[in-house]
Amino acid sequence: MRGLQLPLSQTQRIRLQRALEKLQSLSCKANSDASVTVADTIPVNYEDAFLKGHGTTDLNGDLVATVCGVVERINKLVYVRALRARYKPEVGDIVVGRVVEVSQKRWRLEINFSLDAILMLSSMNMPDGIQRRRTALDELNMRCIFEENDVVCAEVRNFQHDGSLQLQARSQKYGKLEKGQLLIVDPYLVKKSKQHFHHLEQFGIDLILGHNGFIWVGEHVEARDSMVVDQANSSEQSRVPEEKNQTHTPLEMRQNICRIANAVRVLSTLGFSIDADLILETVELSSTVKIDIHDMLGSEFHVLVAEREAERRSLMGKRKR
Amino acid sequence: MAAKPGSAPVTYSPNLGQKTRPPIFKDNDLDWVRPDGRGFHQCRPAFFRTGAVNSASGSAYAELGSTKVIVSVFGPRESKKAMMYSDTGRLNCNFSYTTFATPVRGQGSDHKEFSSMLHKALEGAIMLETFPKTTVDVFALVLESGGSDLPVVISCASLALADAGIMMYDLVAAVSVSCLGKNLVIDPVLEEESYQDGSLMLTCMPSRNEVTQLTFTGEWSTPDINEAMQLCLDACSKLGKVMRTCLKEAASASQE
Repeated sequence: MRGLQLPLSQTQRIRLQRALEKLQSLSCKANSDASVTVADTIPVNYEDAFLKGHGTTDLNGDLVATVCGVVERINKLVYVRALRARYKPEVGDIVVGRVVEVSQKRWRLEINFSLDAILMLSSMNMPDGIQRRRTALDELNMRCIFEENDVVCAEVRNFQHDGSLQLQARSQKYGKLEKGQLLIVDPYLVKKSKQHFHHLEQFGIDLILGHNGFIWVGEHVEARDSMVVDQANSSEQSRVPEEKNQTHTPLEMRQNICRIANAVRVLSTLGFSIDADLILETVELSSTVKIDIHDMLGSEFHVLVAEREAERRSLMGKRKR
Repeated sequence: MAAKPGSAPVTYSPNLGQKTRPPIFKDNDLDWVRPDGRGFHQCRPAFFRTGAVNSASGSAYAELGSTKVIVSVFGPRESKKAMMYSDTGRLNCNFSYTTFATPVRGQGSDHKEFSSMLHKALEGAIMLETFPKTTVDVFALVLESGGSDLPVVISCASLALADAGIMMYDLVAAVSVSCLGKNLVIDPVLEEESYQDGSLMLTCMPSRNEVTQLTFTGEWSTPDINEAMQLCLDACSKLGKVMRTCLKEAASASQE
């Protein structure tokens, strides 16, 4: 069942409810008139000129909604934002996806979209970093770069004329992701920000917040710009990845990864939008309370995080005034 | 005799149809007494809840009396069959019974005719052109069959589609009426369905006042047809209101 499914004791339930009520009263968009279901008429002033956006249609001169959601008005545009829809990609978004298929000169990635995204071989940097035409040999060696079920980070390049998505992975910070965890949250919880790649120094961990709701938490990998590397070092580098594969991730690093991943899971269950600062705060909270990693998914920690968030937002509200 | 308007050539016979059946009413004046004590024109109280299945894009659970169904919707997503470019999306419906759904435990069967009826009821309401080249999969599972399974599944499926955020013209509400001798009973239970002389299932879009599917089986007289259709339309509009309150509650609960 959707929604919070936690075994809460009586006091925990009361505390959680209080915290959530506080958050709701603080949120500026508490307008219940704006929510509509399918075929509800949308209240619009018909004398003004307005544009009918997504999720609306005309019925006998009335504007009705076609999805369940919230009515948004921006200038003259009236549209309905669905509450639980698929991820809507935009050009330039950073996404994390999983390889579903290796086809001719391209990989198919599953991102949380209605179609699979396509990553062309020509949109990938070659391992030796030289810009050249992709030959038939490159095509045959595609599997050495990415295989099925690999996790890949890429950027949205453009939309094809038939609606499918093309990705590119042209710099060193994109590419295959190893030694970490992939988390799936709802896409609307990841808001657009300037930084999507976060390097948490105190843990030595990379955090990638994909716009499509796929979040990667993994061991930090040095991103080297392949343009700087010259031919002499290329043979040495080809050996280094193999050695890396054999190095063991230390236990502490794994624990840190799990702790951060659980923090993300807690935030997504509670429905808070996910950004790096909030994750760090939650992790700090968990270490100050000295809670075990697997206890982080228990009810007590959820209640603590909700209370902490309510406090934080009320403080922010007071500071603004 | 019974031909469904615009459907695949499958003859539709009443459930558990027996060739020779002794008339249940010895005199024509006797009235049928409903096993659960409802009036003839009274539907069972409906319970709807969305968000039943976490892993699906949208899902809904419906319970009307002892009929319990769960519908999950996946999509829009890619599928091998939808590889050819088309301007409109595809709708793929699957209707199945669990092994413990019927009073006699049997193999969970996959009813192809119910699947295609579900498809026809829903495709009129969904805006297929909003998801070209992709497929929406609707999987309906009847957990317990207590009579009028298909109408309950259709209503539940439209709630699941609304929950998944798929654009629709309106919610689809479905109700069926059984003809028992000279009585018309709405929302029949399993026992009534086995004794019926004829049945009518009507699915409509209440706010638009449009019918997406109409299915007649058995023997009907013209005044009965008119009365039955009127009953169905009234019941559908009431059911539509119940479905809307369910969606509104779910929406207000999830807004944070």
